[in-house]
Amino acid sequence: MAPILITGMGVVSAIGVGQAETLDALLNNRSGVGPLAYLKTEHKEFPVGEVKLTDAEMRARLGIPETAITTRTALMGMLALEEALCDAHLTPGMLPQVGFISGTTVGGMDMSEQFYLDYISSEAHKEYIAVHDCGSCTEMTANRFGKFAFTTTLSTACSSAANAIILGANMIRCGEADIVVVGGSECITKFHLNGFNSLMILDTEPCRPFDATRRGLNLGEGAAYLVLESEESAKRRCVKPQAMLSGYGNACDAFHQTASSPDGEGAYRAMKEALEEAGIKPADVDYINAHGTGTTNNDASESQAMKRLFGDQVPPVSSTKPFTGHTTSASGSIEAVFCIMALQQGFLPVNLNWSQPMEDGIIPVSQPTKKALKHVLCNAFGFGGNDSSLLLSKPES
Amino acid sequence: MDELIYTLKQQIIEALNLEDMTPEDIDENASLFGEGLGLDSIDALELIVLMEKNYGIKLKDPAQGKEIFKSVAVMADFISKNRTK
Amino acid sequence: MMESKEIYVLSAKQVSVQQPLSEDWMRDPVVYDVPFARAIDPSFKDYVSPIEARRMGKILKRALATSKEALKAAGLETVDTIITGTGYGCIENTEFFLDALSKDGEQLLKPTYFMQSTHNTISSLVAIQTRNHGYNVTYAHKGISFDSALQDVWLQFRLGKINSALVGGHDEMTETFYHILKKGGVMGKDDELCGEAAVSVVLSTENDNALCKLKSFKMLHQPSLTALKDEFADVDYVLTGISGDHENDKAYLNEARALFGDKPLLKYKHLFGESFTSSGLGFYVAAQCLHAGFVPPSLFVNPEEADDRKPKRILLYNRSDGKNCSLTMLEA
Repeated sequence: MAPILITGMGVVSAIGVGQAETLDALLNNRSGVGPLAYLKTEHKEFPVGEVKLTDAEMRARLGIPETAITTRTALMGMLALEEALCDAHLTPGMLPQVGFISGTTVGGMDMSEQFYLDYISSEAHKEYIAVHDCGSCTEMTANRFGKFAFTTTLSTACSSAANAIILGANMIRCGEADIVVVGGSECITKFHLNGFNSLMILDTEPCRPFDATRRGLNLGEGAAYLVLESEESAKRRCVKPQAMLSGYGNACDAFHQTASSPDGEGAYRAMKEALEEAGIKPADVDYINAHGTGTTNNDASESQAMKRLFGDQVPPVSSTKPFTGHTTSASGSIEAVFCIMALQQGFLPVNLNWSQPMEDGIIPVSQPTKKALKHVLCNAFGFGGNDSSLLLSKPES
Repeated sequence: MDELIYTLKQQIIEALNLEDMTPEDIDENASLFGEGLGLDSIDALELIVLMEKNYGIKLKDPAQGKEIFKSVAVMADFISKNRTK
Repeated sequence: MMESKEIYVLSAKQVSVQQPLSEDWMRDPVVYDVPFARAIDPSFKDYVSPIEARRMGKILKRALATSKEALKAAGLETVDTIITGTGYGCIENTEFFLDALSKDGEQLLKPTYFMQSTHNTISSLVAIQTRNHGYNVTYAHKGISFDSALQDVWLQFRLGKINSALVGGHDEMTETFYHILKKGGVMGKDDELCGEAAVSVVLSTENDNALCKLKSFKMLHQPSLTALKDEFADVDYVLTGISGDHENDKAYLNEARALFGDKPLLKYKHLFGESFTSSGLGFYVAAQCLHAGFVPPSLFVNPEEADDRKPKRILLYNRSDGKNCSLTMLEA
């Protein structure tokens, strides 16, 4: 396929608000995972990757009045979207020619879980009922900036943002749009913190992807958006691409609702398709940003998938989830931004907290490493086996 | 022990939503997972919740369940030795 | 290089407030005079084993029933892709978990309810049961959730990536959730019938006793539709999503009349109810009318316009909330 250009990006996570803070943390191995500080929950035993801003602080930064109806997922989305639009030199007047596709699973659940009993038995907080669903969250994020040509929402758990990127690219390829802003946003909620805890896949220690002692994931939150653009449109607007989306794959593991297959079938197919779409060989991949959650199951399954595809020549791999926690629906776009930074700066993000090789697993990048990169693979795998993989490349000169 | 086994069967039926079953349908020595009742890893997590809720026994590692949940009889034996409620 | 193969609607199956998995509504619809009704469910025994069913909310069982029936009717074991739309996802299980969280606190919560509460559970469950490894995504965008799924399938066909697809639109509604949505002004306005939707449609580039053809699809946001007027000059009927919400319906019908002139306008939500994925039921209704060769009189907005013409082209005009809009053309 002809590559799709990436002409702007914006990111918010536990390691910073905006590209500059984020890159600095990645280069200096500074994790944003720590004790719970923002979410009001009993479960203080779990380290998390929270965005270091209260809702009120985010509203203040965005110039939104205190009394406005907002949700945390939408606020983080707005911060990331603001940066992406600015980065791509897109003004409000241009938005009617621009699409917006966002991925989320929790939507407005951060409010609903607080007000649920009120919703049932009183009139209090009923103005938040209409913003519980995922689509409303996307629209709240988009409406802040203007009237986009179209908006829609993907919800495939931890691969939502990656799939939003795939949809945007397909729309450009079919001539349905020239510019689409794509990505995802998700805040931590009591709902899914407790949900993951009931599945016993949270670690009370900082997560250690691909490590023999790994015992689970740390939840995170954040948002990131990429501006995808056709070559003709970028030429017309005289904007330089930051990276290219050369290929992508989406496959279903079809194994279990919450566990990945031992041989990583879905992951294998998704990565293979991404390479085939891009027309590149496994040996051309310089780095893989793994899904690497730190659960016993994912890291074993993903290792198998990588070994099946790359044989003895698995390229350097790391999971950046020890930096940010698992940002669930937003992880596909947040980690795509990390991949683009790696391409631009020529470095391999470190797989923090790793020390012991796991049985039959890959050995990740555990030391700071400079390396010129041309093609990188970014994996995002969701509950239910919704597996996606993005192939990002340095722009052709 | 018989009383505990019967009660446990009732609690398992409720926790796992085995709507059409009665305690008499469950053989306490038959395996709960795989061939026997055909339960899976999510059911094992539900049984972990059941153990803590009804008997005050907290399992930190889901892998411990493999041995403890072999059958109702094995489960009852473990509970009688470790219960705090 | 865009594919331009014909896309056939091989089958469409539903569970809703009308008789399940049947077209009885065409001659003998169930009539409702209540603001809220749950779907009429078939027996699920043929579609899901008791040991699996025990932890599934209704939405999941209905998705399996309609998917399996749609595949069977299409004569296919599996398809190249499964894409689903759901506005609110698995409400029953979300409610169980949220209830326990709110009333009993954060300890000893049941993993089953959480596991089956995410929106994409539906699409992935169908894939697990049909052992399907193809492209699989879920859309959750209010009244255009099904339409977004259809749009993606449309793109996949045009890119030549698939020859067959299973598209689903699923939403469930409990009594508690209905009252919450009514309180929040989301549903339950005026004469609306708030219902539940489960629709599975099989599409293919191979014609095998197809119900009809999918000729075109467009999705727009706050559009100026007059620009599209000429594209739809050749339709026989326009199926609108008027629902009994007086204010919205008025605007809807005014726009429809301005755009489609003297074409008879049809409605279906008075029979099938309103939900975020009811446009999937609209798709099903139009496909069945084209296949059956008549439009039931009960569907006409203006009963005087009811006729017994054999429909050739039906345009589905989903105006959703007045902001998001889709236009789907089905042809006999």
